[in-house]
Amino acid sequence: MLAGVLLLIFLPPLVAKDLCKDSQDGFKVRLSIKTALGDEAYEWNESEMFLFRSTLAYAMRKQSNQDTYNITNILVCNDTQRVSFVFVVTSPNDPDQLIPKEQVERAVRQNKHRINNAFLLSDMTLEFMGIPPTLATPITYDTEPWLIVFGVVIGAVAVGIVALLMSTVSRKRRAKEKAAGLSEVDEGIVKENGTTLSSLGRKEGVYNQAFSNDDRFTEL
Amino acid sequence: MSEPVRTFTVIYHIFTVGRQTDRLSLQIELKDITIIIMSKEARPSWDSPMQFVLACVSYAVGLGNVWRFPYLCQMHGGGGFLIPYLLMLFLEGIPLFCMELAIGQKMRLGSIGAWTAISPYLGGLGIASVVTSMYLCLYYNVINAWSFWYLFHSFQSVLPWAECPVNANRTGYLEECEVASSTQYFFYRETLNISSSIDENGGLHMGQALCLLLAWIIVYLFIVRGVKSTGMVVYFTATFPYVVLIIYLIRGVTLHGAWNGVKYMFTPKLEQLANPQTWINAATQIFFSLGLGFGSLIAFASYNHHNNNFEKQAVVVSLINSCTSVFASIVTFSIYGFKATFNYESCLERIRLLLLNTFNLSEESISAENITTWIHHLNITHPERFAAIASKIELCSLEAELDTAVEGTGLAFIVYSEAIKNMPLSQLWSVLYFVMLLLLGMGSMLGNVTAIITPLADIKLLSRSLSSESINGLVCLLCLLLGFGFTSRSGNYWFTIFNEYAATLSLLFIVFIEVISVCYIYGLRRFEKDIEDMLGHRPNWYWKVMWAVVSPLLLFSLFIFYIINYIQGGTPTYQAWDKDLGRSVVKEYPVYGQVFIALLLLSALSCVPLAALHSVFRRKPLRRHRHTETDQHKHHDNFNNNYRHYFYILRKQDSDSEVTADTQTSRACDSTRKHGMNHEDRAESLMVPICTASVKLPVSPWNYGMSVRYDPGVESSGVSRLAPGLHPPPLPPAARRQYRLQA
Repeated sequence: MLAGVLLLIFLPPLVAKDLCKDSQDGFKVRLSIKTALGDEAYEWNESEMFLFRSTLAYAMRKQSNQDTYNITNILVCNDTQRVSFVFVVTSPNDPDQLIPKEQVERAVRQNKHRINNAFLLSDMTLEFMGIPPTLATPITYDTEPWLIVFGVVIGAVAVGIVALLMSTVSRKRRAKEKAAGLSEVDEGIVKENGTTLSSLGRKEGVYNQAFSNDDRFTEL
Repeated sequence: MSEPVRTFTVIYHIFTVGRQTDRLSLQIELKDITIIIMSKEARPSWDSPMQFVLACVSYAVGLGNVWRFPYLCQMHGGGGFLIPYLLMLFLEGIPLFCMELAIGQKMRLGSIGAWTAISPYLGGLGIASVVTSMYLCLYYNVINAWSFWYLFHSFQSVLPWAECPVNANRTGYLEECEVASSTQYFFYRETLNISSSIDENGGLHMGQALCLLLAWIIVYLFIVRGVKSTGMVVYFTATFPYVVLIIYLIRGVTLHGAWNGVKYMFTPKLEQLANPQTWINAATQIFFSLGLGFGSLIAFASYNHHNNNFEKQAVVVSLINSCTSVFASIVTFSIYGFKATFNYESCLERIRLLLLNTFNLSEESISAENITTWIHHLNITHPERFAAIASKIELCSLEAELDTAVEGTGLAFIVYSEAIKNMPLSQLWSVLYFVMLLLLGMGSMLGNVTAIITPLADIKLLSRSLSSESINGLVCLLCLLLGFGFTSRSGNYWFTIFNEYAATLSLLFIVFIEVISVCYIYGLRRFEKDIEDMLGHRPNWYWKVMWAVVSPLLLFSLFIFYIINYIQGGTPTYQAWDKDLGRSVVKEYPVYGQVFIALLLLSALSCVPLAALHSVFRRKPLRRHRHTETDQHKHHDNFNNNYRHYFYILRKQDSDSEVTADTQTSRACDSTRKHGMNHEDRAESLMVPICTASVKLPVSPWNYGMSVRYDPGVESSGVSRLAPGLHPPPLPPAARRQYRLQA
């Protein structure tokens, strides 16, 4: 009688363990808490496992829109030191029947973000073997940022060139006008009684004695 | 009653015996008008010698200092490579650099005119230089386009080469990016969109084409006014790269693991000195790094004053160039060390995870230090499971990571960007780095384009019909259009052809002929005299020995070595990117590729003999001239080119005479040898120009006096007070001449 009672008590978990160990519908999970969090890593214990099972139950609820999933539907086995284990999901209606792999996969993929955040981990550190992570969508821009910077730079350069060419053209026009008219006052040279050279050059000029006495006055 | 008006001609001779004059002026005073005749240098010149030095530094310090020298250092024994490098600097680098500057400053023409002046048969040397510069301009600006591309892409929150793009159903990364790395993917796929071989052309890469357009517009902006605009720009392009290098040095040596790299570099492996390849590479690196043979140095120096001290400047610039190479390689090696340490530690981490996952051990059990003991332990305790993963166990070695030496664009755009993406604040470092690459590249482009436009501007036909801005614009436009070919999908392979063949063998040949012709055809004695004329002292024995003996021998042996290498190398090959394997594979060039390479080489090399033959057949017999020395120097025409003459007629305040002026530029300048006493009462003999000009003036029938003033250093032979039709007076006798030499 006692044996029968004991058997009855221990049978479900044994059956459950069989379900978990032998099934094809299970997924291996691996957590790398120390790698992810370093000094702030938490210990992996029964409470954390409880949290894991409840998040999975949550994921199943969301995916199937059935509120009947409970934590008892998530069976876990093959616990290792690595912090890795295998889990299976049983149907809420029939505890001996397992939910097929694809459905579990879909549930996990849809809610991976929530599951990651519950454990402060990421896709790299909380791995479901066989379920590829859904990577973040690449950001799409209306205009690529490099085009904006390019536009700014080429605009500035174009303005520079136009300014340079305009100044060249206006300089040439001014020179042409100057050449056409009388060159009375040229480039700021002051009309003085013979001291203009000093304003041009850096030093005073010197009289060339050799020539100043030669025929001062011209015959006309 | 109106006063009769008569015109008369004033003929004067202006000549200078001064040493450094850029203007000559003569002032003639009449009773109520003053005539000022001023002659100014027509050839533009640098605003100060500092601009010239900075232009040379900016030209010589280029991308090769950053990406070629560290590679050579690594391949040839680290710190020990400095020995052959510095030796070659003194044996060939500095002497050849100085020689090119001397030629440019003396002849005051671009490379074609300068070599024609040295010997009429050597015009082809200048043409070969221009052709080689043209090839260089075509492909060098493509590197600047890549730098722009990377620079613009650095303005994003996540650097685009830091992560692989995700594939269509967002389950993983793109396959090509997985097998290669994200930086390689970004360079080969997103930047170049490279095809798998040189045969497959694709369309143009629009982004690249836009960046190339921008690069050429900026180059045009820098050179549009010739040396005036270039001189402004070089203050920035020469100095700012050093600022960035210093910032990078500080950042680099504070990176984790940088010290490994620097230590690796400076540990000399002196056994490499026994390898002849080391010495050859040192010689070629010095040679190409200084940018000899392109004609850029001749062009830059042609804008100098006649008495600029180029000797000192040549030594300074060459030393700066070499020191920059060493400095840049310290920075590169600290980055290498960082990258190698990062990869090494990632490798260890991967193995650690592999072991943890296979054997389900807790995370704290294996750490980076005890991996090897654990491997050993697990091999013994669980042999079967270990054997299953044994193939995935990599051997992580820091030395192996440091040994992966990369050069060229691979170093600049792949290795460096990989290191940058792992630094904190990577966008800032990326922007700084690519700005530095841009400045180095642009600085070198300035010299390259100047080497093309200076000889073109010297051609009278062109400079009369088109303004200099238009000529410069046309050159840039032509190079831009041809350069679009490098932005196609197979463009990088054509780029490699140009990079390896367009400017290597031809330059060695050009500079070899340059040295031989200066020393033996022009004559070392004449060259010495020219230098004495410019500097005031003769070059000492070091220069003469290097020019006459050592450098030609070195260049000749390098040239022979290159040819032997080409012949022995068999069919030339190139690295093609295989997108399935994620790495480069070696392929042979197709036939048309090899023909193209041969054409590239021949087009530059054949200019010299072809032009020589052309001038042999076209040469008219020499006309005898009084001044036998002057007609050998056709460059006395320089004085025609050099001086523009301006006339200013000023009316004195209280006069009311009618004056009209007839400004005209002088057409007749000749040169002659003048003898006399200088201010120290020593006999001196110099070549001086003599220019004549005439001005017509009306004169009223009153008497007027005339006195003459001249600028120090200018002697005037007198002014004529002629009635029309008389000839100019002869030169006054020597005794009445007084002239003064400027110090």
